Amino acid sequence: MKSIFLYATAAILLVTTACSRKVTRIDPVDTPDISGKWNNTDSRLTAEELTSQILTEKWIGDYVQAKGKKPVVIVGMVTNKSHEHIEAETFMKDLERSFITSSKIGLVQSGKKREELRAEKADQQTNASVSTMKKFGLENGADFILQGSINSIVDAYKRKKTVTYQVNLELTNIETNEVVWIGEKKIAKNVKN
Amino acid sequence: MKKILLSFFVALAGFAAHAQETTLAPDQNPRYAESRDRYIKAQDQLLVNMNTTVQQTYKAYDWYEAKQERKLQRYNDRRERRLLRAQYGNFYSPYDNNYYSPYRYAPGFRRNGWRRGW
Repeated sequence: MKSIFLYATAAILLVTTACSRKVTRIDPVDTPDISGKWNNTDSRLTAEELTSQILTEKWIGDYVQAKGKKPVVIVGMVTNKSHEHIEAETFMKDLERSFITSSKIGLVQSGKKREELRAEKADQQTNASVSTMKKFGLENGADFILQGSINSIVDAYKRKKTVTYQVNLELTNIETNEVVWIGEKKIAKNVKN
Repeated sequence: MKKILLSFFVALAGFAAHAQETTLAPDQNPRYAESRDRYIKAQDQLLVNMNTTVQQTYKAYDWYEAKQERKLQRYNDRRERRLLRAQYGNFYSPYDNNYYSPYRYAPGFRRNGWRRGW
């Protein structure tokens, strides 16, 4: 009876260990290319390139010289017109973070988060104490809007494929509609199935 | 007298407020209010996609992927045909059509209206 129990336990252990999934942590910087589609490495390279471009080009100096204060930017819409589903937020957040950490550019909230902020402010009008209640109409108005697009070109035949992604970001003066900066990152890939 | 003075000041304050609203900045378009009113009405719709990625993707032609898709489609078609054949008999064969099928539909005959054989 004991030996049967031992064999059964050994068999169960063998089956469970043989079928178990193996997961290992990897450095996000070293994300390997698996399918050839847009991945973490592409997002990171795009963020690095665009961050270095936007923080070093002369539009910041020009604005500070003209207005005597640092520019305030709001993030607008990014349109993905490529052939893959790409979420721009992954590299846009890196870019926004660089604005704050560098202290060269001010950033104001936009989109659904801004709606939530205003809703909270509205809630405070009837629920918060007068001394702590935040007033409407005192938001910091953005000087520039950051908008973008993602495009791709695919050339494929038999098992070979080349894909070129082009990410463009544009910074426009909200008052004058003047485009003060255009950032670009191109990524080309050769995929063999 | 007091009433006259009060109404005078109220009128003055109203006029000042109106004048402030209509005072143009240097070189400002005098019809700016038309545009402002138009965009105030439409702002909720126009700002709904702020800080988001709008996906307008397209399907790129990839020779290898298209081949794989055709292969999968053939597999699914064959599977569907097999299931239909098992259920209704072979519609494609002149010798095993619905009429002569051992599984042909015969309402009111045996169980569920399906019969096996004659």
